[in-house]
Amino acid sequence: MNIRIAVIQFPGSNCDRDATHVLNNVIGIQADLIWHTNFKERKYDGCILPGGFSFGDYLRGGIIAAHSPAVKEAEIMLKDGRPVLGICNGFQILTEAEFLPGALLRNNTLKFECKWVHIRVENNETAFSNQMKKKEIMDIPIAHSEGRYFYDNLKELYDNDQIVFKYVSKEGLLNEESNPNGSFDNIAGVCNLERNCVGLMPHPERASEEILSPFKNTHGIKLFNSMVNFIKSKVI
Amino acid sequence: MPIVENEGETVEVDLTEEEIKKIKSLLGRDPYITEWGMFDVMGSEHCSYKSSRPKLKLFEPAEENYDYVLAGPGQDAGVVDIGDDYCIAFRIESHNHPSAIEPYHGAATGIGGIIRDILCMGMRPIALLDPLRFGRLKNNSHSQWLLKYVVKGIADYGNCTGIPTIGGEVEFDHSFENNCLVNVACIGVGKVEDLAPSRASKPGDYAVLMGNSTGRDGIHGVTFASRTLTEQSESDRPAVQIADPFSKKLIIEATVEAVKTGYIRGLKDLGGGGLSCASSELTGDGGTGIEFDVNKVFTREPNMTPFEIMLSESQERMMFIVKAEGLETILEIFKKYETPYAVLGKINNSKLLRVKNADKIVVELDPTLLSDFPVIIREEKRPEFLNDLINQKTPERTLKFDGIIYRLIASENICSKEWIYRQYDHEVGVRSVVKCGDGDSGVLRIIGTNKFISGSAGCNSKHCFLDPYEGAKGAVVEIGCNIVSNGLKPIAMVNCCNFGNPEKPTSFWYFSECVKGMADSIKFFNIPCVGGNVSFYNEDEVLQKVIKPTPIIMLLGYIEGQENIITLPFKKAGNPIFLIGETKNELGGSEYHSVIYNIEGGTPPKVNLDSTKRTWDFLLEVNKKGYIRSVHDVNKGGFLITILEMSFPNELGADLNLYDCFDKDLTSEQFLFSESVGRFIIEVDADKIKEFIALIEKNKLYFKEIGVIIEEMQIKIKRLEENFNLDIMIAKNLFNSTLPRIMEGDM
Repeated sequence: MNIRIAVIQFPGSNCDRDATHVLNNVIGIQADLIWHTNFKERKYDGCILPGGFSFGDYLRGGIIAAHSPAVKEAEIMLKDGRPVLGICNGFQILTEAEFLPGALLRNNTLKFECKWVHIRVENNETAFSNQMKKKEIMDIPIAHSEGRYFYDNLKELYDNDQIVFKYVSKEGLLNEESNPNGSFDNIAGVCNLERNCVGLMPHPERASEEILSPFKNTHGIKLFNSMVNFIKSKVI
Repeated sequence: MPIVENEGETVEVDLTEEEIKKIKSLLGRDPYITEWGMFDVMGSEHCSYKSSRPKLKLFEPAEENYDYVLAGPGQDAGVVDIGDDYCIAFRIESHNHPSAIEPYHGAATGIGGIIRDILCMGMRPIALLDPLRFGRLKNNSHSQWLLKYVVKGIADYGNCTGIPTIGGEVEFDHSFENNCLVNVACIGVGKVEDLAPSRASKPGDYAVLMGNSTGRDGIHGVTFASRTLTEQSESDRPAVQIADPFSKKLIIEATVEAVKTGYIRGLKDLGGGGLSCASSELTGDGGTGIEFDVNKVFTREPNMTPFEIMLSESQERMMFIVKAEGLETILEIFKKYETPYAVLGKINNSKLLRVKNADKIVVELDPTLLSDFPVIIREEKRPEFLNDLINQKTPERTLKFDGIIYRLIASENICSKEWIYRQYDHEVGVRSVVKCGDGDSGVLRIIGTNKFISGSAGCNSKHCFLDPYEGAKGAVVEIGCNIVSNGLKPIAMVNCCNFGNPEKPTSFWYFSECVKGMADSIKFFNIPCVGGNVSFYNEDEVLQKVIKPTPIIMLLGYIEGQENIITLPFKKAGNPIFLIGETKNELGGSEYHSVIYNIEGGTPPKVNLDSTKRTWDFLLEVNKKGYIRSVHDVNKGGFLITILEMSFPNELGADLNLYDCFDKDLTSEQFLFSESVGRFIIEVDADKIKEFIALIEKNKLYFKEIGVIIEEMQIKIKRLEENFNLDIMIAKNLFNSTLPRIMEGDM
């Protein structure tokens, strides 16, 4: 089958071409860069809200983009079970649109943090983690100043198994040192109840080619491969 | 400053009486008041290069002498061809004065300006680098304030526009305490066919102003930058522009898309001098003219005068020269990105810049009058204090070597700059192959090819202070070594000259000597100079302090083939370590002198261009052959600091036997701490050592095998006058914690 993915360009998105590059050139599936006002969901099997500073992050990260027509289209996709991924600013947009629980606050370091971290797979039954093992550790970079995950009902997240990724140390230890931004319970990524919407602060598109990884691996690509697998298995 | 008038209006101009007379005679009448403003701005040192131009002639003409140079000095950015239709644009610029009084917006608008310089060549900006200079940090809240907000300004702007900051360098020295230096560099990539000249060469094309509205901010920013800093400088804060990275991001995307249509014949950003500079340079260089009404310019506030509109330096504006048949297509693109625009008028063949305010003519002159300002020949004089300074002796050593090295590794100029680069998104764009901290330069891949480029920028201001000619040569060598250390070949240079008041003969002497040093060395290396920027008047009149001379060199590296990229961390225990290049008695301006004894003098390094060139060629060759595993050039603090930096990432140690490793005339401390330039520490593959030595001997290079990499986390130094060990974890902790402790703590 010909899978077709939309990568949405909001004014101020800046990881849009990076995600498109990985899908087109590394994985080899068709991904189109679509300006947010031109996006029509019916042509696509999945969509990605990329990182960046949509609308300059004015007011707060993601909130203006959450009211874009593209997000309404994404909602239709989610409702009929197609996968939607939010990376970094895209994650912020998905929480502002309330497709995902929680909010992303200013890092507790009060600074922008650009570095490689390690995340552990907590739930491997989502549209974007089904090609991973549970408790698998992945090397992946972050780059954000508003990535501190907050939710006032963490118990609900655990009860519904909505936590997908947590920040851990290289050895897999869950501690304060391995938490780069002060996120509650080291949460790096969550999913919706239906498991077809995932948001995460780290950048899988920057960890999908060996040449870019200080650890010489391609852990990030597993998110995109999971999406492809999810789309394929649904069709079959 | 003199006051000029026309029709009852008056304005203060920063021009000499002589220049005023000359302007009147060239024009054949008294300039209108807006014209006075334009002459004032265009005649400022910042725009006219009137003091520096005679010296900059020392650089050979890059476009004529190097076939791969597509654009050289005088253009908004230098452009080089890297084959297969790809080209690279790059440029460096200073934003010192604005940053000294408003560090956040000063630095951010500096980034904004340098991005526009790349963009207006028709290229996509893909990387930033920023060499910075501040006063000493410890217990100095002013320096800490400047550093914090300069870094935040760069970070917020670069991160938001999605351009990775891939490198830079910082020096801390008391001479920069009030007059900090913020130099910003940008690299862009594109196809040769997309290159857009800054010229309006064809009558009938449209001039379209695009981007943010024109406001009253930044009026006379360049004249302000062409003066020394005084207590009154605080009141110049309105001359600092306000940064708007979100608008810039839209302008970048709209511009790149517009250029791809093929309808853009010329392109110019509005920076210093605003609309007056852009319109006169486009038509002046194109041999054409233009007429427009200032009322077409969309303004931020009502009732702006033609004077203000023509001279405003509001950020985030571009002037497009659009082929008539493509106007509608281009305007559609601007509408998509919701960037405001105004079609100002048509290019004509009048060779006149004519600006009207409704029916009244406010500007009517030959645009070349503005761009060809007469030069001034300045006096030069070597400062008398230099002899005493150079003769300064190293005080007697009382500390043990290990203690000295721990102090050096924790010192402000040597310690890790991670606190800074963590705040920069250095990976956006998925091109960063060698990232901050992994190499001496930032290496980027060109997606869709097997080509790699790199950038590195800096100089050693202390060395230049003691000997500007050798110091500038040393800067070219040091930055070249940074490029070579990652396996790339330096192919082109731009520079940013930061000096004091050129009207003072000693300041101008420093400038003149540095230019000579740069010009001589790049000529020797066959590297073209494709652009530059001169920032004078970096003086603090309150404290009577002139900055140390700072000729920042930026080199662009290039190589084909991923296998050629090499990084600095030690890779494997058992591999031998080599020191290449001769260490001389050159402790002048060293970190050893300044950190341990608080002195600035001594004999500064002299540069051997010939052995450096042969070392570079050799390194690139052995790297291609796969004989070496890691490389790091020797810089501040001497070669043991280099070895420590290589040992940190993978936590590997080294066993060094320094017997017979240096000239008998040298003392141990001279050997350990001299900052002789052009040296490298190299990890050689243990299986290839014979081949390596054979090749190095064939090339007649000075080298010593100084030791071997070990698993144990110690640097063991043997057979010196005292044997000593350095604990890697202690040193690493000192190295990493200095900046966070100062910036986040209470030092």
